[in-house]
Amino acid sequence: MSLRANNYYKATSLDDAYQKLKDNPKNAIIAGGLWMKKTGLSYETLIDLSELHLNEIKVNKDEIHVGALVTLRDFETNPEIKKLNGGATSFGVSEVVGPAFRNTATIGGSIFGRFPFSDVIASLLPLDVTVKLYPEQSYSLEEFLNIKGKVDGILTEIVIKKEEGKGYFHKVKATSLDFAMVNISISKRNNKHYIAVGSRPLVASLARKAMIEADKGDFKEAARLAAEELSYLDSNNISKAYRQDLVKVYVLRGLEEVNK
Amino acid sequence: MKLQFFLNGTDVVWDVRPDEYLSNALRRHGIFSIRVGCDESICGSCTVLVDEKPVLSCSVLAITVNGKHVTTVEGIQEEVARLSHFFGEEGANQCSYCGSGMAIIIHALKKEYKNPTDEQIRDFMVGNICRCTGYHSQFKAIKAYLAEGK
Repeated sequence: MSLRANNYYKATSLDDAYQKLKDNPKNAIIAGGLWMKKTGLSYETLIDLSELHLNEIKVNKDEIHVGALVTLRDFETNPEIKKLNGGATSFGVSEVVGPAFRNTATIGGSIFGRFPFSDVIASLLPLDVTVKLYPEQSYSLEEFLNIKGKVDGILTEIVIKKEEGKGYFHKVKATSLDFAMVNISISKRNNKHYIAVGSRPLVASLARKAMIEADKGDFKEAARLAAEELSYLDSNNISKAYRQDLVKVYVLRGLEEVNK
Repeated sequence: MKLQFFLNGTDVVWDVRPDEYLSNALRRHGIFSIRVGCDESICGSCTVLVDEKPVLSCSVLAITVNGKHVTTVEGIQEEVARLSHFFGEEGANQCSYCGSGMAIIIHALKKEYKNPTDEQIRDFMVGNICRCTGYHSQFKAIKAYLAEGK
């Protein structure tokens, strides 16, 4: 299965890309294009943003600005990203297939797709991340994931707040190349805990009740709540109940890890 | 659409469809070292270098390499010959379907790390599937190859 397209268009500006996108409902922005290929959908025109300098990581005192076309590999190997969340964010992204795949897949494509199985989204969700779109819109990552229906705009960058912290990421998988059965991502910053659970098989969410219990220091109760407060589903390779058991175990391990 | 790029150092101009993948374009032009195993961005058999970075050619639209440098095993023949020696010594290739993709990823590994750890080698190889050997012999061959000349 492969995507089909009649035309390929290199945008000269964000506005040019957006106008082209609005011209025809069968036009689409292409980033890495890996998931678009798997869908096998037909497009009239694929819109390429590669001339718009969206493949850069810029760092200032408080923030890291990551362009939408930064590849997962460039992201995970960036020295500033490696420092984030005690290395857990970089590690989480490095869990996606192999380096050749990650040299094509992009941060923008991974987030804009809001994929339920995404290790990238799970890795980033416990951090303070802002998603920027053109025309000008700005959402926290959590808000962005909860937008109902199709997002109107072009994802241009994500902005990650630089904060000292400890982190944990664990992807439960049958083999190295599988999608996660569940992924657990935890950050502890300024004595606050942030716990994200993804691949349930629904897009990653923060387990807010569990975070409150973790802040109180009751990690077992936090782990139990994380397995209860979010929605979980059965899938081909794993039952809902087993997923919840995994979450209980790995959230507890993660909380112990970030509190060592 | 006109695609101009450098294939193993040679400037070429090809006609490609907007939705044609690089693996298909390469094979259509006689580069049969490109094997399309899964065609789903997983197996790594179609790995090539684009501007020195390994990518899966089955998942990269040909038109996106316009103006770039694409390297296949034909472009690194001396290195492949040396690597093949170590693969032979360890019995690391059987059907060899995955071989060209492996050679490209090992080339990229060697460029990125001067002295890769075992974990770094495994991390690099994780996206290249072999259905014959079980990886241990390949791992030993790669270690021996990387150790050569140290």
